[in-house]
Amino acid sequence: MPISMNFSIPARRVSATTLLVGATILSGCDFTVTNPGPLLDADLNNPAAVPALVNGMGGDLSNAIGNYILRGALASGELRHSGNYAAEKQFAAGQIRPEDVNGDWARMQQARWVAENGLVRMKTVLGSAFETNPNVTRAYVYAGYANRFLGENVCETVIDGGPKVASTEHFVRADSLFTRALTLAQAQRNTALTNAALAGRATVRAWLGKWSDAVADATLVPASFRHNAVFSINTSRENLNLAYETITRREVTVFNTVWVADRDARVPYDTVRTSSGAFQTGQDGATRFFRQKKYITLGDPVALARGAEMLLLRAEAALRNNDVVGAVSLINQARATSTLPAVTAATADAAWTLLKRERGAVLWLEGRRMWDLRRWLAENRDATLQGKSTCIPISQEEVGANPNLR
Amino acid sequence: MARRAGGFALLLPLSFALPSTSPLHAQATGTITGRVVDAENGQPIAAAQVTISGTQLGRATGDDGRFTLPNIATGSATLIVRRIGYQQQSRTVTVTANGTATADFSLAKSSVSLAGVVVTATGIERRKEVGNAVTTVSSADFEKAGAGNTQQILQGRSTGVTILANGGSPGSGGTIRLRGVNSVTQGNRPLIYVDGIRIFNGNSPTGVSSRQSVSPLNDIPAADIERIEVVKGPAATTLYGTEASGGVIQIFTKRGRDGKAVWTLDANAGLNSMGDFGPPTDPTRMFVKTCRGPLMVDANGTPFEDATCPESGSWLKNGFLGRYSLGVRGSSGTINYAISGNLENEEGVLRVGTNRTGGMRANLGFSPIKNVTLALNTSWQRRNTAMISDGNSADGYLLNVSRGPGSNFKGSGCSNTTVVCTVNDTLFSKSNTIAGDHFIIGGTATWTPIEAITNRLSIGIDYNNNDQRTINPFGFLRSPLGIYYQTLWNRQLITVDYATTWKQTFGSAFTGSTAVGGQLFDSRLNSTELQGDNFAGPGVPTLVSASLRQISDVNQQRVINAGLFAQQMIGWRDRVFVTAGARIDGNSAFGQSFGLQTYPKLSGSWVLSEESFWPTSLVETFKLRGAIGESGKAPGAFDATRTWNPVAAEGGLSAFTPGQLGNPNLGPERTRESEIGFDAGLLNGRLGLVFTAFNARTTDAIINVAYPPSQGFTANQPENVGAIKNTGFEASVTANYAPTSWLDIDARLQFTKVQGEAVDLGGRVLTIDALSRSYVQEGLPLPAYMGRKVMNPDAFEAPIIQENQFIGQTFADKIINPSVTLTLFKNLTVEAVGEFQRGGHLLNAIGYQNAGLRIWQPCFEAQKALDAAAKGDASLLATVPAKDRMKCSTVSSNRDYSYWVESADFFKLRNLSVAYEVPKRLAPGGRPMTVQLAGRNLFRQTNYTGSDPEVADQRTSTFSRRDYYVFPPYRTFLFSVRTSF
Repeated sequence: MPISMNFSIPARRVSATTLLVGATILSGCDFTVTNPGPLLDADLNNPAAVPALVNGMGGDLSNAIGNYILRGALASGELRHSGNYAAEKQFAAGQIRPEDVNGDWARMQQARWVAENGLVRMKTVLGSAFETNPNVTRAYVYAGYANRFLGENVCETVIDGGPKVASTEHFVRADSLFTRALTLAQAQRNTALTNAALAGRATVRAWLGKWSDAVADATLVPASFRHNAVFSINTSRENLNLAYETITRREVTVFNTVWVADRDARVPYDTVRTSSGAFQTGQDGATRFFRQKKYITLGDPVALARGAEMLLLRAEAALRNNDVVGAVSLINQARATSTLPAVTAATADAAWTLLKRERGAVLWLEGRRMWDLRRWLAENRDATLQGKSTCIPISQEEVGANPNLR
Repeated sequence: MARRAGGFALLLPLSFALPSTSPLHAQATGTITGRVVDAENGQPIAAAQVTISGTQLGRATGDDGRFTLPNIATGSATLIVRRIGYQQQSRTVTVTANGTATADFSLAKSSVSLAGVVVTATGIERRKEVGNAVTTVSSADFEKAGAGNTQQILQGRSTGVTILANGGSPGSGGTIRLRGVNSVTQGNRPLIYVDGIRIFNGNSPTGVSSRQSVSPLNDIPAADIERIEVVKGPAATTLYGTEASGGVIQIFTKRGRDGKAVWTLDANAGLNSMGDFGPPTDPTRMFVKTCRGPLMVDANGTPFEDATCPESGSWLKNGFLGRYSLGVRGSSGTINYAISGNLENEEGVLRVGTNRTGGMRANLGFSPIKNVTLALNTSWQRRNTAMISDGNSADGYLLNVSRGPGSNFKGSGCSNTTVVCTVNDTLFSKSNTIAGDHFIIGGTATWTPIEAITNRLSIGIDYNNNDQRTINPFGFLRSPLGIYYQTLWNRQLITVDYATTWKQTFGSAFTGSTAVGGQLFDSRLNSTELQGDNFAGPGVPTLVSASLRQISDVNQQRVINAGLFAQQMIGWRDRVFVTAGARIDGNSAFGQSFGLQTYPKLSGSWVLSEESFWPTSLVETFKLRGAIGESGKAPGAFDATRTWNPVAAEGGLSAFTPGQLGNPNLGPERTRESEIGFDAGLLNGRLGLVFTAFNARTTDAIINVAYPPSQGFTANQPENVGAIKNTGFEASVTANYAPTSWLDIDARLQFTKVQGEAVDLGGRVLTIDALSRSYVQEGLPLPAYMGRKVMNPDAFEAPIIQENQFIGQTFADKIINPSVTLTLFKNLTVEAVGEFQRGGHLLNAIGYQNAGLRIWQPCFEAQKALDAAAKGDASLLATVPAKDRMKCSTVSSNRDYSYWVESADFFKLRNLSVAYEVPKRLAPGGRPMTVQLAGRNLFRQTNYTGSDPEVADQRTSTFSRRDYYVFPPYRTFLFSVRTSF
C-alpha cells in the first residue's frame, strides 16, 4: 500500500491544537500534594486547631528556655564549664559570639513570633468568641513571657525581619500583652493566669523603669505563687536540656561557683564520686563535677514567675527609694517562702549585696541571672560581667538573612 | 513511494505478520525465510531485526540466525536487517503466491553504525535522525564480563557515565552520574525506564549502622537484559521533562523470539576475595588483613591483641558467589514469550555480609486484533541483604578493627592480661538486613491504524517494598539490653505514557514525522521508622520485644508529574534532519502560583557521508549532529508549601510548631544544554569515532536559602536562585583489526571530561557537609573540598598553612576507559575493560581519626619524629615532609580533616574475562555452549591511602563523599557455563 501524503498543514494544526488542549488538561490536573505528616498552613485557620496552636506556643517557649538555660548559666557564672562543647566553652569564657547563638536566637524569636502571629490568626478564626476563649488568655501570657525572655537576654533585636531596634522593645510589647492577658484572665475569673499576667507585667514594668507600677502589680501576686514553663519526659523536644547535660552527661558543674561555699537550700547540688572514691570529673575529663540538683528529671518545670521574686522586686524598689528596713523585711518574707531564717542588713550597700545574692538564689538556673547582672552593671551596682558579654547578639543567621541589617 | 520502517523496533519482538485470517483481507501471500550470519566468521547472528521496508512486518532472528516471515503479500519486498554492532543491510526479494523466497544475509561488523534505532521519549527514532549522542550497551557486550547487575554492566562501557561503588558489602548500591552534576540540592540521578515503565531511580533508605543502601536498579538481573540505552544531558532528555536533567537510562529486557522454544541456562560460580585496599605502607592493612602477630602495635610500639581474630590470622576470607538463571524464549501460535528465573547468592569477604536474590520474569507479546500488538512485561525480584556495620557507626567493622586498641569492643581471652584485649568478632552479632520485593509490571499497546501512524500506550507500576532492620541483640557488648531499628519503606511509581507518531512525505525530497504525547507519573512513598530499646531477653526480637518503643518518623507522600510533548522532525533527502519539540509539565511539587513549565528543544543531524561530495573512500560514514534543549528537576515534594509540624508540648499535649516557610512561586530547576558532535566510521567500519562536546547551564537552581529567624520559620527554604554550569566532552574510538584469519582484535578507548562549577549562588557558600569539608562556592567545582591547606606539602620544613583554600573537587573530571577484546580461532574471546578516574578527591577520615588515636601505621614514623621534636630533638623531623607534620600531628590545634583530603585518582581493571565457545562436537548433545572465566576489579592502582577511592559513607550525604571507615569493594572471580537447548 504505497502512501504518499502531504500532512504538513494538518500536522501543524494537530500539534498546535494538541499542545493547547494538553495545557488545558494539565492545568485541570489535580496536582495536590497529599501529605498526612506536616499540616498545611491553611489548615490552622480553624477554631478546632486553636488549642494545639496555643499548646505549640507553650512548647516553643519551653523549647527556647530549656535549650538556653545552660548557656545563660555559664555566661553569668551560675555554673562552670566542665564539658566538650565548643560554643559553651565560649559562653563560660564570657564570649557570646553571633555565630554561636544561631539556635538560641531562632528559638527565642520563634517562640515570640508563634505567639504574636498566632494571636492575629486566632482573632480572625475565632471572631467574636476571641475575647471569651480561655486559650486566647494563655496565648497572651505566652506572648508576654516570650517577649520578656528576649528582652532580658538579647542585646538588640529585630521584629519579624525588620530593622534593628532596642531590646527594650520586647518589654514594651510584653507590657501590652500582659495587660491584655490580665483583662481577659480577670474577665474569665482565671486566678492562675491573672497572677501570671500580673507577675510578668510587674517584671517588665520594673525593667522599663516604672518601679511604682511594678510594685503595684507585684503586691497583688501571692507569695506562694509559681508559674512554670512546662517540660516533660514525653518526647525529646519536651525534655529539659540542662537536666540531660547534667544527668546523662557532665557538661557543666557547680564546682568553682559562689554557691559551693555559700550553701543555700535553693541552690541544691551534690558532689559526685567515682567508684574509687575520687571526685568525678566532668565530660572534659579535668574539671570536678558537682551536679546541680534543682532539676533532677528531664521533665522538671522551670519557673517563669514566682511570688518570692515579686517580694524581691518590691525589695529592690524599696532599696531604690533608700528604704533599707522595708527592703530587708521584704527579703525576709521572700526567704520565708522557702522556710529560710531571716537575715539582716544595716546599710544600703549591705542590703544591695543581700538582694543581689537572694535574687541569684531564687532565680538560679532559670535563665534570668544575666539580665540582673547586665542591668546592675549598667547602674554600677555590680561588676561580675565587667569586660564580658552581657547579652546575646543578633545571630549570624539573622544578620545574613535579614536585608534590613546590612 | 516512501515507506519507512521507523517506529518498528519497539514492536519488533511482538510484531506479527498481519494475520490473514479474515477472508475480507484474503489475498495471495508467500513466505520469506533466510539466515543472518557474521560476514567474518560465518557464525549465526541472533536477535537481528529483519523487517520489510514500508510495513510493520518483521521478526527477530533466532539463536541459529534464521528467520521466517509468513503471509507476505506477493510482489517484491525489501528486507532490511539491523543488528547493533553490524552495518545495516537490505535486499529485495520477489514473493510468489504460496511460494517461499529465500534471503540470506551476511553482515559486516561496524564500529559506528548509523543504522538501527533508538528509543526516545516520542517512540522509536532512527539513529540517523537523532541529534544527540545515545549510547547502547547490548547483551553481547556484557555477557562475557561476569556482570551481575546494571551498575556493573555500565561500568566502563559508556562515555559520560560515572559509577562509584560506595561500599564493599554485597548488595550495596552505587552512585550513578551521567555527565556530572547539574543540581546541588535535587540529586543528580538519571531517570530509569525498564521496558517503557519508569522505575524509582534512587536507592533504598540508608541503613542505620550499615550506612549503605541497596539500589532497586540492581534488581534487574543482567541475564534478563537485552540492551541498555544511555541518554545523556538535558538536550537529549527534554521530552522527558521535569526530573530528567540528570539523564535517562533505558533498560530493555529480553523479548520473545521467533521459532520454537529455546532454553538458556546460565550457571555461574565463583568467589569474592579482597584485592588491594587501604594504605599500601601498612602491612596489616588497618589490622584487617592481619589481626594477629607482632605487627599488632600502636604508634608507641605498644602491642594489643584481638582474642576473636580468626584462626587464619586475618579477618578476610573468600566468599562464595553463585548466580544461576534459566530462561526460555520462543513463540507459540501468535504469542511470543521470554520467561526466566534467576537465583543469586553472594557472600562478601568477611564472616558477615551476604546478598541473596532471586526472581522471575515473564515477557509476553501478542497481537489480539489486527494492527494492534501488546507487550506485557512482569518481573518480581526478592532480595535479602545482610550487611556489616560500616562507616561512621560506633559498631562499624572498620571503625573498630582499624582502631586497634581503641576498639569499642574490648573483652577478655587474650594471651595475657597486660595487653589491651579486643573482641571485635562480637560486633558481627549485630544485624543489618534489608529484605525487599521489587515488582515491575507493565504493558505496552501499539496500534497502527494506517502505515504512517503509530500509537503507543504504556501503563505500568514499579513497586518496591523494603524492610530494613538494624538489631543490636540482647547481650550485645555495647548495648546489653538490645536495640531494634526498623524502616518499612514502600515506593510506588505508576507510569501512564501515550505517544502517537505520524510519518509524512512531502514531495520527493522531504519527509516528516510528527509526534505528540503525554505522560503521567504518580509517585508514592510510604515509610515508617520504628525504634525499640531494651529487650526482655535473648531471641529474635520484634518491635514489641522492646520495652521502650517509638515511631520516629512516618512519611506518606504522593507526587504527581504530568506532561505533554509535541515534536516535529523534517528530513531532507534522508540525510539532513531537523527536529523541534517542546514539553509542558505540571508537578505537585511546584508552587501553587507557579503553574506549568515548558521545555523546548531543537536538534539536527546531517549524514554528510551520504552527500555526493563526501570522500567516502576516506570516511565511509559520517554524521554531524547538534542539539540544544532544556529539562528540569522538580523541587522536593513539600518544598513549596508552608507547613507546620505536629509536636507534643506542655507535657504531651498535641501542638504545632512552624515547619517549612514555603514559596508559592517555587518551580523546577532548568538546565539548558547544547551539544555538538559527530559519528564517523572509517576503514570499512574498522575504525569508529564518536565525539560529543556539551555545555550545560542550570538556572533557577534550587538552593536552600535562610530567612530571618525573627520571621518565625527557622528552616531554610528552597528557592530558585542559583546558577550552575557543566561542560565537557566525550570521545570514543573503536577499532577492529583482524591481522590473521584466527585473530580478531576489537579495541575501544573512551574519554570523558566533565567539569561542573557553581556560577551564581548570590554570594553564598553552601555547606554540604562541614565535617567532610565539603562546600559549594561560586567559581569552584561542585561540591568542592575546602579548608586548610599545606602550601609546601612535600618540603622538609615547617608547614605553611593557609585557611579557606580550595583543596580539590569531589568527583573525577576525567574518566578514561580502555578496553580490548581478542577473539582467537573464532571461539576463544579474551576481554579486558579498564577504568581510570582522574581529578576526584576523597576525604580519608580513617586516616584523620586513626592518626589522632596514634594507630595509623603510615604516621608511625612521623609521629615518632614529632614526639621527639616536642621534647627538643628535631633531628628526626628532617625526613618528615610538611604535609605529614600536619596530617600526623596529635596536637589538637594542628589537627584538621582538610589535610586528609586526598586525590582519589585510580585505575581499576574492571573486568578481565576469557570465554570459550565449546565446539558442537565437544559440547554435550551438540548444544551451543560457552564456558567462561571472568574476574572483576582484579587490579587497582591508586595513591589514595584510605580504604578505597570509590567508597563513601551514604548516611551523611549522597552529594558529598567521605571515606569514614568504609569497608572497601572486593574482587570477584567467576566461572560460568552458558548453554541453550
